[in-house]
Amino acid sequence: MSAAVSSGRTPNRLPAIAMSLVFAFIVLGPVVWALATSLKSEVEAVAIPPTLIPKVVTFQNYLKVFTDQSFVLDLWNSIAYSVGAVALSLVVGIPAGYAAARFSFNGKRVLMLTILATSMVPGVALLVPTYYLLDAVGLLNSGIVVTVILAARIIPQTVWFIANFVEAIPIEIEDSAFMDGASRSQIIRYLVLPLIKPGIAAVATIGIVTTWNDYITVAVFAPDLAKRTLQVALVNQVLDSVGISWSYMMAFVIVASMPIIIMFGFVQKWFVSGLTAGAVKG
Amino acid sequence: MEISYQPVEDNKRNKMSEPKSQTLETALNIASLDDAKAAEARRNGFFRYYLWFVPAILILFLVTLYPSIFVFWLSFQKTRYYELVGFIGLANFIEVFGSKAFWDTTFVSLTYVVGSLAGAMVIGMAAALVLNSAGITGSFLRVLILFPWTLSMSVVGSIWLWLLNPSFGPIPYLIKLAGMDPGLMLGDPDLALTLTILVTAWWSFPYVMVMATAAMQSIPNELYEAVEIDGGGAVIKFKYVTLPHILPSLGSTALTLSIMYLTLITLLIVMTGGGPLGATTTLSLEAFRGTVQAVNIGPTAVVSIVVLVINVAIGAVYTRLTGRVTG
Repeated sequence: MSAAVSSGRTPNRLPAIAMSLVFAFIVLGPVVWALATSLKSEVEAVAIPPTLIPKVVTFQNYLKVFTDQSFVLDLWNSIAYSVGAVALSLVVGIPAGYAAARFSFNGKRVLMLTILATSMVPGVALLVPTYYLLDAVGLLNSGIVVTVILAARIIPQTVWFIANFVEAIPIEIEDSAFMDGASRSQIIRYLVLPLIKPGIAAVATIGIVTTWNDYITVAVFAPDLAKRTLQVALVNQVLDSVGISWSYMMAFVIVASMPIIIMFGFVQKWFVSGLTAGAVKG
Repeated sequence: MEISYQPVEDNKRNKMSEPKSQTLETALNIASLDDAKAAEARRNGFFRYYLWFVPAILILFLVTLYPSIFVFWLSFQKTRYYELVGFIGLANFIEVFGSKAFWDTTFVSLTYVVGSLAGAMVIGMAAALVLNSAGITGSFLRVLILFPWTLSMSVVGSIWLWLLNPSFGPIPYLIKLAGMDPGLMLGDPDLALTLTILVTAWWSFPYVMVMATAAMQSIPNELYEAVEIDGGGAVIKFKYVTLPHILPSLGSTALTLSIMYLTLITLLIVMTGGGPLGATTTLSLEAFRGTVQAVNIGPTAVVSIVVLVINVAIGAVYTRLTGRVTG
């Protein structure tokens, strides 16, 4: 092989690396700026000319966020809704996904297509009818209702992903357990679930991010102060922005994103596999 | 091979998976695979297959399917606030489709979706290509660049509201340093939509990057080597190997994003609230506002139906493209 070809194979990476750093700057710059602002005093945050590095690092904004009257309740609601919704979606999604992968019966295709179709109905188009119906039966401002609605948003993808994961397990493994006298529920609990654990983790990660970040569902169907989440609290502050404190707001932004940031750090791999799994032909 | 007792009706697969040292006794106790499955089917009955789906379908029916049907019924009603006054046929549709505001809103939606899509696809593709050829640095930075995608729209909106703040934000400050007048930024009716499009592209291009990278990494290296042997450079490689291979993946990514942009309203609520002067009011934002303000929900139902129909149509194309229907 000639020298020219082999040098073409290991090209000079420097320009690409430099460009990559530019992309990283574009993406992370705003986040870093928000973080820096959150560590400044209210006065320094609006100083001209603005500086990235705070002259005096202060945690008073974070202290203010944490000691805010409704903070603990907002945080609790955020956790309860998102964890509840993901748990519910798994509880109903795993049996459906397993059955879709392992049984063949009349009407399965229609059933699965119906589930897929519901994922295409946007939540924002159902605000008016859902509000009307919930109002009519007196179920507005219910934490359970919000949790179920959030779960419904992630159930279709959960069912389809689980079905794909189960299909990837060789059926022979299940058959031999079946012959040894294991029941269907034993097979699922001790054989299938451990094998698809990475898949469940990916679906759950995406589900937590989706539900934690929701604003619309909670804001419209549970506008009560006692039922709101961190996301709703954040938007409300922007909307009544009389004498807004930017450093306080950026601290709130960081705190409201913290669980997602931590999760992203730990399960980044699952997150990416969850994203790309949706694109894989099922 | 040790010979063990086999029921006559045993199939081949059963024989193969039978443990070698099986005694006569246990072999007799274990029903054959087909027997076991048949027994389960008898026990459960045919219709019991559906039971596995009942909880999921029940929730989806209550939360998604029923309101989807109900919104059509609502659109035929004369309404005062949240009160139904009576059936009025297509009057709500005529009112909505006959108003200039509706078509202005539709145009804003279209501009917003197409603009954001163009931005995210181009930047995302560029990022994927650049990071792919940046070796280990690229793989490391890819993780960091994906990060904003996980942030909520309320958070993204708040951060950019601050960065673009005309009095104290760093971006207007830089524009001033460059000797230009930043003006009102998001408060400028001529600029607000462009800025929200840029922020949307900023938030979503990492998704395009990840999808494009996943597609690129599935391309066999031999194809690139073949081009090299024939003396082709980077442009030829991209045009004849990379692009044709990732095109289907890019197509489905574009459809996914279109659906997302069409219904994305939290960012708009935080950054502009639909203003100034309706410059950033999309159809979905109108559906939201109609619900919250509840002056007259009949026309709001019509706008919701428009959003619903467009989304389902794009979703159907997506399903076709990814071939899920045959699954």
